Amino acid sequence: MFELGPILSHAFQALQAWVIGHGVPPMGAWILAKAIQVGVVVIGVSLVPMILVYAERKVAGFMQARLGPMNVGPYGIFQTLADGVKLLFKEDIIPVGSDRLVHILAPMVVVSPVFVCFAPVPFGKGLVPIDLDIGVLFIFAISGISTIGVLMAGWGSGNKFSMLGGLRGAAQLVSYEIPRVLSVVPVLMFYGTQSLRGIAMSQEGLWHGFLPRWFIFYPVIGQLAFIIFIIASVAETNRTPFDIPEAESELVAGFHTEFSGLKFALLFLAEYAYVFLSSAMAVALFFGGGEGFTLGGWIPTWVWFLGKTFSIVFIFLWFRWTFPRLRADQLMQFCWKFLLPWSIVNITLAGLMILLRK
Amino acid sequence: MEQTLPTMVFALLSVLLIGLSLVVVTARSVFRGAIALTAALGVVAGLFAFLGADFVAASQLLIYVGGIMIIMLFVIMLSQRPQDQYDRQTNEQWVWGAFFALAVSCALIMQFRSVYRGIFATTVAMPTTASIGRLLLGDMVVPFEAVSLVLLAALVGAVYFGLDDKDRT
Repeated sequence: MFELGPILSHAFQALQAWVIGHGVPPMGAWILAKAIQVGVVVIGVSLVPMILVYAERKVAGFMQARLGPMNVGPYGIFQTLADGVKLLFKEDIIPVGSDRLVHILAPMVVVSPVFVCFAPVPFGKGLVPIDLDIGVLFIFAISGISTIGVLMAGWGSGNKFSMLGGLRGAAQLVSYEIPRVLSVVPVLMFYGTQSLRGIAMSQEGLWHGFLPRWFIFYPVIGQLAFIIFIIASVAETNRTPFDIPEAESELVAGFHTEFSGLKFALLFLAEYAYVFLSSAMAVALFFGGGEGFTLGGWIPTWVWFLGKTFSIVFIFLWFRWTFPRLRADQLMQFCWKFLLPWSIVNITLAGLMILLRK
Repeated sequence: MEQTLPTMVFALLSVLLIGLSLVVVTARSVFRGAIALTAALGVVAGLFAFLGADFVAASQLLIYVGGIMIIMLFVIMLSQRPQDQYDRQTNEQWVWGAFFALAVSCALIMQFRSVYRGIFATTVAMPTTASIGRLLLGDMVVPFEAVSLVLLAALVGAVYFGLDDKDRT
């Protein structure tokens, strides 16, 4: 039906042909087409957090038996837009005791990797910005750069709360990165590829005619991997119950205490874009990507993909308003004594299962 | 010059790498130096990617930028004092140090120019993950496991030295 992939590729071919017809060399036309594609991804990724912030406030409202934002536009849908405009016009303050250069660079270092991370994500059939062979590893590697930005924000602000937040953030992000990577290893072992598109495509079809061949339905291995992945992802995105780097009641706002205006907006954008990225990865790895399981192809794959992704985003929002914050030592114990051993057990189980199937 | 675009990319990456490395040694603030080192390691990953070694490039980013440098920054944040900004950056032997550094680099450059003429690497991005995996768990499995044993020993040693004296039994 309304598959975006073929339509877009036709559109870009037509555009290139039109530009070449007007005297632009083929190389220039190719660069132009690529620039527009990159622009589409960047703008899309910047718009998603606006939806997520609205969703967060609405979900929070409903979970606390209130309505959430209602005044700006019908059901308050323009609330985030208004917030964004407000943040744009706020004064940009750089504290006196801060390391100016580091302070200015920090939000950029946090935010720029996010856009790159969306390159290998398969948004639907034929809708992969770049089908990288090392897709999964690429996302883990690039998203690690944002941790440096968190440390820079903590150091560059030149105050104790930010510094503590940065230190906590570094310890937490480095620790939870390990079970997060290891939880994905069984998926890679089963499908024998690191390309997110390849993994999503291997999960097409049905078992016994009704159960989708998604990785999460492999007995024990699938569920264990998904649970570890989602817990580690919540920790990686600094969200409650793992939000000790920015714990409001202890550290004012942690590493982004001293950021105002557009810099604060950038840090916020990065956080929500990472929530979306983790959900999109979970969908591609465990839920068959854009593969629908019902209605026989009437709904296009990109709608399936976005629908599944926003369902996982809802789990993130749900976590936030259900669990209390962990203490720093509990956080480390949970990572090293629970998540890490079980992810190694999971890899062993996956290896046994592959051996038995042969 | 043939292959203009690859040469330009290589020149750009090299200039970036050299510039960032100079910042690492000259920056007054240790934290800024460490940030420059992080960026330099990222540029090295860029060089790997430019040579078509996609897996190595991603591993370089994952391990050096996302792991080791974060630990280093962590330590710097814990151990910095404000007066470090005003300390002298050199001592009395800087002349001899500069002399030996220059001598070693001249020797290396002459060696590389005479022995190893250099080749144009293929910059085509071919997936390398499968062949690396086959090598590591096939022909190279014994060295691979030996290296992991050495790393384990290093970890145990680090824990031992990190303990208090009364806990060491």
